[in-house]
Amino acid sequence: MVALLKEIYRAEPSFDEVLAKHPRFPRLIARKIDVQRRGVHYTEAAEKAVDPAVHQLRSPYIFGSRDGEIKPLPESLLLRDGTTILVDPTPLDQNPYVVDYREGRFVLVDGGEQLEEVDLWPKPVYYDKLTTSGLPMSHIVSARPQRLNVFQSSFCYFWADKEGCQFCDIVTHTKQQREEIGVPNRLRPEDVKETIAEALKEPGRFTNLCLTAGSVTKGKEIFDLEVEFYIELLQAIGENFRTKKFPSQLIASAFNEKQLARLYNETGLTSYTTDLEVLNEELFGWICPGKARQVGYQGWKQRLVNAVDIFGRGNVGTGIVGGVETAQPSGFKSEHDALQSTLSEADWLAARGVTTVYIVWVPRPGSAFRDQKAPSLDYFIRLAQGLQDIRASHGLKVDFDDYRRCGNHPDSDLARLQ
Amino acid sequence: MPATLTPDVIALLDSAETVKVLATVDANGAPDAVEKPSLHHGGDGTIHVLEFLETSAANRNLTHTIWYGGSISVALHGADGHRVQIKGRPVKLHITGPLFQQHYVRARETLGDVDLAGVWVIEPDEVIDERFEKVRAREDAAHPDFIHLDRIAV
Repeated sequence: MVALLKEIYRAEPSFDEVLAKHPRFPRLIARKIDVQRRGVHYTEAAEKAVDPAVHQLRSPYIFGSRDGEIKPLPESLLLRDGTTILVDPTPLDQNPYVVDYREGRFVLVDGGEQLEEVDLWPKPVYYDKLTTSGLPMSHIVSARPQRLNVFQSSFCYFWADKEGCQFCDIVTHTKQQREEIGVPNRLRPEDVKETIAEALKEPGRFTNLCLTAGSVTKGKEIFDLEVEFYIELLQAIGENFRTKKFPSQLIASAFNEKQLARLYNETGLTSYTTDLEVLNEELFGWICPGKARQVGYQGWKQRLVNAVDIFGRGNVGTGIVGGVETAQPSGFKSEHDALQSTLSEADWLAARGVTTVYIVWVPRPGSAFRDQKAPSLDYFIRLAQGLQDIRASHGLKVDFDDYRRCGNHPDSDLARLQ
Repeated sequence: MPATLTPDVIALLDSAETVKVLATVDANGAPDAVEKPSLHHGGDGTIHVLEFLETSAANRNLTHTIWYGGSISVALHGADGHRVQIKGRPVKLHITGPLFQQHYVRARETLGDVDLAGVWVIEPDEVIDERFEKVRAREDAAHPDFIHLDRIAV
């Protein structure tokens, strides 16, 4: 599947022109945003220089890529300041950045100009191993430069009810991964425990664990079954540690206080994130119809605030798909209005101990919003700075979701100076 | 063009006897000078610094410098009295990968239960011999008028 979009990024103001308007904003983080926004294409020389024994190739992920393909290409990139760029291969007709291999180094190129030296992510040792049950460990737990990702299940019940989030391609991608590379539908706790035990043998490789999956609405109370899955999984993972708590993030549905208390008390989980996706009630209803119908925007927010009482200030967050608030026809018509609205809501949440982080919205071919256009680089820069300024003004930390523990949020990259 | 580290400077960097100080500035220009025994020659003309604390002033200031430009300073004082100042720039931070892991393992072997936030790579721009007799000779040659008259009185 190849995206039909043909973004003419070069018709926009240039990177330098945009950055000139933001002298306080780090150039490397702006570059990260722009690379995420536009994607990358690996040249033949770069592909030849990739060493599967050393470099991490693309492993199972919860969301799909904008080329709609699963190919043995590098997972992603690191900039020279330690900033992670999570970016996927992008068809050339969409004007992506180019990753080339020149004079023994991988370099980022745009318009023929060599911009930055980049590193490919190093492959963790456990990627070459199998579980006792015979599954490749890379299919059970995937790695980032310093984090272990457990995608417990990529199925989402909101999709089953045809009320999936419109920017999301989780189920489309799940089917593709299952059919093309045999990724299991649901992980068994013993496979996860065994894989993490193997990963921890590599010294200095990982600083935290992240668990996420699609929403499971089943149960006596909504999400009860989802909570059960996570408790079982976290308890199995916890057997690998000698401390009760271990640095970890759960990105899951909006649980009620009883469910959250169980997660906190019965497992080693240290932080909780539930994604509002878009910080506007009306747009939430349009973009996330399942979440809106079953919990509601105000209900989702309240559950976030309640989570602070259980996990503590600075350990609760919400993720938004930055830019999706400009999707048409119902989204904001002006980037200025979109930003004002989003930051105002983020400030409300921060005042109550909830931090907001964003990912750069990429209209993916497997999502309902595949034909949409993401906003400008200028918008994403303002959003990153705005969210970080709010965090700093409320003295809120984002340790569990920063440049190193996660690496996918330009706003929390800025927290390195906070 | 990076400055060259001569063998005597490399020896100074790599000696455990040398007092090594890293000086950086923050976003407001406030200085931070801290002893960094981990400063050493990177083997390729660069200097490596291990940073053990993610939120130390030095780590934040190095991040600020790699983002916005500027320079840092390394002061070395050897057991034999040899003193050198190296001005340079952070050009890379390793937070993962073989070099990071190698230092992580070695640090824990030698220092016990420590963590490692990153390995900074400093590219030297200027190496200054700070031995007093050398500094004074440079000053005397460049500014012969900077002298108290009693020193040359009959």
